[in-house]
Amino acid sequence: MGLGLSFIFGVMKIVNLAHGDFIMLGAFGAYLGESIWRINPFVTLIIEFIVFLLIGLPLYYGLIPRLLKSRDPEMLSLILFFGLSQIIEAIGTMAFGNNPETIDPSVIGGQPLVIAGQDFPFVWIAGVVVSLVCMVGIYLYLYHTRLGIATRAIMGNREEAQSSGINVHRVSALAFGIGLGLAAIAGVLTPFMLGAIYPTMGVDLTITAFAIIVIGSLGNPLGTILGGIIYGLSMMLMETYLPSWSSMIPYVLLILILLVRPSGLLGRRTRNA
Amino acid sequence: MAPERLLVVNNVVKIFGGFRALDGISLDVSAGEIVGLVGPNGSGKTTCMNIISGLYRPDGGDILFKGKSVRGKSMHVLSKSGINRTFQTPKPFKGLTVRQNVEVVHRRADRKASVDDPLEFVGLSHLSDREAAALTSGQQKLLDLARALTAGPDLLLVDELAAGLSPVELDTIAERLIEISRRGVALLIVEHLLGFVNQLTQRVIVMNAGKEIFEGDLASAAQNQRVVEVYLGQ
Repeated sequence: MGLGLSFIFGVMKIVNLAHGDFIMLGAFGAYLGESIWRINPFVTLIIEFIVFLLIGLPLYYGLIPRLLKSRDPEMLSLILFFGLSQIIEAIGTMAFGNNPETIDPSVIGGQPLVIAGQDFPFVWIAGVVVSLVCMVGIYLYLYHTRLGIATRAIMGNREEAQSSGINVHRVSALAFGIGLGLAAIAGVLTPFMLGAIYPTMGVDLTITAFAIIVIGSLGNPLGTILGGIIYGLSMMLMETYLPSWSSMIPYVLLILILLVRPSGLLGRRTRNA
Repeated sequence: MAPERLLVVNNVVKIFGGFRALDGISLDVSAGEIVGLVGPNGSGKTTCMNIISGLYRPDGGDILFKGKSVRGKSMHVLSKSGINRTFQTPKPFKGLTVRQNVEVVHRRADRKASVDDPLEFVGLSHLSDREAAALTSGQQKLLDLARALTAGPDLLLVDELAAGLSPVELDTIAERLIEISRRGVALLIVEHLLGFVNQLTQRVIVMNAGKEIFEGDLASAAQNQRVVEVYLGQ
């Protein structure tokens, strides 16, 4: 869930506050795909990744270059994407209504897995496998492709990358598209992991994704994995022992990490002279 | 026959808010020539470099490179056309080794020469596997130069390369820059260390308040009343 948000921040240093809303759109895409065309969610996953990637390209060129020219792109990105989040939420509400929707979990197929005497639903295992595939995919892209190395150069320094002959907008647009594609993949799995889906769920999802990437370190894919594990374990423990308080988890973790280690668990400590 | 003018900056203006950082600057550089761009802090030297390299868009005037206008073209396009630069404060690509930093440019430039050549040239080949962010500031400047060279420049913009280098490193780098110009590459050098500029060239352009106030050899500049006033505030 956090990988796309982290990837976009790492490359462009902007916070996509509409990330959760793209996950919501991905979730409704899976809902429509299953309820109207009876498409298997794993097929939807691939289709949505491509569609969202392609949507990301014009969206990048329409919004980001102008934003990056401003004096404070990070701050303005919060305002811009908050606005985009509201627009997507409003369109989602008009299109799908306010009632929560669900997908029959059996459509994803598979049998529960027994590990150490515990039953694990198939969809959880599928979620872990899909996440791992996405992470390996991002790793291979960043470390073993020409575009990926250019992406890492932009992550290191945008101006120097440009002066090295890298078309930063073309590479960043692709990264933005990949970030949205990853949000869509998380969205397809959301109805199976969380149950009901509804158009206003984007804000909560953004906060959860944001907490995960801040815990690990903004822009660091490995940090996102670590943040996800810590968030997941904390959530499970709270739901077991203090279920009525469990929704506070992302906020508590966010505040704790900002107080104790603002750069995230895998982030480098910085010092201001 | 006069040497071919590779770069012509013609009456360029750059305004930040209400501040005219460049106020109608004009200069030219020929192939294989080394030109020093000097002046006190805030005189507009780095802004001029940023305009020529495409980092900033000019608000007025024109820039001709190889006889064609390149005004307003982005930095990556100019880099491929043959205008490459170093930065006053180099920021190597974090998380990449010294060699990978050069490889980023090498892959894009698609050159047949080895990645190791520019590293060898600037004396960093023994550090090629070290993470670039771990280099000293002087070494990072040399890496910046190696990257700019890898792109295969016709015009190299060198922004305060000497600051932070030891006297021995300064002598070595001066030799290297002269060697680069002998290969036909034009160099426009922004520098505060006038002794270093003197090692490289006799033609300097002195700037103040976004304008050129003197052009000629360094010895004459030192005798020029206006230049002395600007530097010493007399």
